[in-house]
Amino acid sequence: MSGEKVSEAGGPVAAAPVHRDPLALVVRFQSLIGLVVVAIGGIIFSPRRHGQILFLDPDNIANIVRAVSETGIIAIGMTFVIITAGIDLSVGAVLGLSSVVTASMMISGGFGLIPTILAVLVMGIVFGAIQGTISTRFRLEPFIVTLAGLQAARGLALVVSGNQYINISYGEGPGLAPPVFAVLGERLFNNTVPVATIVFIVFAAIATIVLNTTRFGRYVFAVGGNERAARISGVPVSMVKISVYAITGFAAALAGIVHAGQFNFGSANDGMGYELTAIAAVVIGGTSLFGGAGSMVGTVAGTIMLGALANILQLNNITPAMQLLATAAIIVLAAVLQSLVRRREGLGR
Amino acid sequence: MSAPLLVVTGAVKRFGGVQALRGVDFDLKPGEIHALLGENGAGKSTLMNLLSGVYTPDEGTIQIDGKPVQFNNPREAQAAGIATIFQELDLVPTLDVAANLFLGRELMRPGGFLDVPAMRNEARKRLEAIELAIDPASMVSNLSIGQRQVVAIVKALSYASRVLIMDEPTAALTVGEVDRLFDIMRKLAATGVGIVYISHRLEEVPQIADRVTVMRDGRVAGVTEPHAPQAELVRLLVGRPLDELYPERAKAPGKTLLSLRDARFRLAHESAGWQPPAGISLDVKAGEIVGLAGIMGAGRTELLSALYGTGLSGRWEGEVAVDGRPVKLDSINAARAAGIAFVTDDRRGSGLMLRMAVGLNLVMSVIRRISPFGLMSARRQADAIKQSFGQFDIRPKNPNIAVGALSGGNQQKVVLAKEILGNPRLLLLDEPTRGVDVGAKGEIYARLRQLAAQGLGILVASSEMPELIGLCDRIVVLRQGRNVAEFTGGVDEHTVLAAANGREA
Repeated sequence: MSGEKVSEAGGPVAAAPVHRDPLALVVRFQSLIGLVVVAIGGIIFSPRRHGQILFLDPDNIANIVRAVSETGIIAIGMTFVIITAGIDLSVGAVLGLSSVVTASMMISGGFGLIPTILAVLVMGIVFGAIQGTISTRFRLEPFIVTLAGLQAARGLALVVSGNQYINISYGEGPGLAPPVFAVLGERLFNNTVPVATIVFIVFAAIATIVLNTTRFGRYVFAVGGNERAARISGVPVSMVKISVYAITGFAAALAGIVHAGQFNFGSANDGMGYELTAIAAVVIGGTSLFGGAGSMVGTVAGTIMLGALANILQLNNITPAMQLLATAAIIVLAAVLQSLVRRREGLGR
Repeated sequence: MSAPLLVVTGAVKRFGGVQALRGVDFDLKPGEIHALLGENGAGKSTLMNLLSGVYTPDEGTIQIDGKPVQFNNPREAQAAGIATIFQELDLVPTLDVAANLFLGRELMRPGGFLDVPAMRNEARKRLEAIELAIDPASMVSNLSIGQRQVVAIVKALSYASRVLIMDEPTAALTVGEVDRLFDIMRKLAATGVGIVYISHRLEEVPQIADRVTVMRDGRVAGVTEPHAPQAELVRLLVGRPLDELYPERAKAPGKTLLSLRDARFRLAHESAGWQPPAGISLDVKAGEIVGLAGIMGAGRTELLSALYGTGLSGRWEGEVAVDGRPVKLDSINAARAAGIAFVTDDRRGSGLMLRMAVGLNLVMSVIRRISPFGLMSARRQADAIKQSFGQFDIRPKNPNIAVGALSGGNQQKVVLAKEILGNPRLLLLDEPTRGVDVGAKGEIYARLRQLAAQGLGILVASSEMPELIGLCDRIVVLRQGRNVAEFTGGVDEHTVLAAANGREA
């Protein structure tokens, strides 16, 4: 309760409650609690084979964390944007574009692994930065700008791919990709931990540090907390906004590279709808769409929770339609909890 | 004396462990304007919400015309004749005046069509009944705050017409608008409406009230005459005599920090309602508090925001110098580089990140200083927060609370403390005590004077004349973007007002 408390945490303390309001605590850790609830539910409702709980099978767990790694990477980037009270709808399309460019650079272009990856990541950053610049320079809603960006990225992906699947075959020589690229679809440590998941977790760790311990991270919270107040305090608001869209662009490109590596092809339709899954994970993770509050840990937990939920439903042969309905219910629940806390703090209606 | 219209007896209201009202008695007579004063947290909002049906009392009774009543929701209070005008006027800015007046009770033509002409006619009649020339067809967003207030009154009276509760109706009004509002209130009272008038502004009480109830800590601290001396009201409000609301003045100011000579701000695009500096000459010296007086639209706020680079885009002409060196104050960065800090008049809109913790808000203007190599230093942040808490008595003493949960006075202390942390040499203040209770005002004045004594120069714009006169060493009067007069502190109010209005004293 003292000044030292802030110092220990170091990073931004998102609107801690005045008294220990149990509801506020629940909301603060809602995605972790949700993850635990889903895990317990998974164990209870999991089909068993020879007395083994299938849900807890190492292969199954690896599958869950692999399946969520691409949307997870995107959600990490999206968390920055949403904390500034923005939104980026272009990420799924940028993933598709990146996957296509990755495949075609290696297969048709004959580029090596490192130049390809660097070029795609730079492309993602530039794409995002352009969106951020347009949005700040012309004071346009990021919703509109990134909606246009979504169309643009899909269009570019179609142009690059010629509306064809670009298959990635491995080997030495022209028309073949370096075999090491295939590692993205594999597992390490005795075939347990998927490489895609490692990329996700490393990216999440870096993002957590950036958000909570750097000046830039603090600026991100400030811009979302109150843009005018941030500007008056000397925060370089436009630079911060452009940067967060560059980060989502980078994240989408990274996810696109992982996608190409996991599935061994690039297609202009890759990543369709990923932006919505990512936004859902961020919101379930407790980050406020109004900006100014949020956490990376929440986003990671939200991402894995959605994946685990889908997994249980699949294990029990429950239809995809039910999965959508379950996800919808969880999003609404997360949003309702947040709004209840806002009301208790007297900050909103 | 007529029988009371409304009587509250022994009202108690608890919220969890907090007792907001501890047995409050209150009464209102027909045709009476009863001022209800109290600092933030004194319980006046809770009492108002009991009367308007937002809350129900845990104990105690409410009587109307001697008959006990119970309101379970605002609609029932309205049905009993009690109308409430909250600070955030519940008008829809994108609809016209008539549509707002009839919102939810629209007049219809057969077939389910809106009868717009009938509503506009009726609206015009009601507005004219209190002599107000507002076109019922004009959009609410095009009205001044004062006009909106009147529309809200007319709307409230059309729901319920016996008791009118007004929550700080003058907070956002200009002097002229306040006078007009008071006229309207007196006229309504003359027709037998009882008015509960909630305010922070002590100086308005003798002008308008027939009786004053002062609340403190959930109780009635006293009921007095409106012409009771201000010191008596202050004593009731804060529970102790407040010998000096305003601190001692400075002795000898230091060297000139800010110097304007025929300074004009040329706008990139003309803008109606924004009075740019149009030839201002003034100095602010180290250790000095200089006030900016003037009527609404004289260009006080505009001068401050143009100096800080937050106003409309444009450029300075004439002479603008800081420390004797000419500077181009064309952006926030330029102003900050020159050692200038700015506290806006709109702390919720542009001063604070309401949902973020107090501590995070405090360090907002020194992020660069507390993040060597781009990494936030937890120690430096804690030191900065500790420094602010040492300087200002921010309550509660907890940097982890969302700043939006603090009272207005404490929020204002946070905004001030935040800018002070940046060690500015010149502080620009716009309405530094708007919506701040008397106790916090006293503390803010004392702190500003202390900072000035340490060499800070302060330029403060205020529409509260007693504040300027009590606080400032010198008062510069602006009119139409020019300085037209200058007085030393302690000058009498009428002289300043006359200069502001362009009349001889």
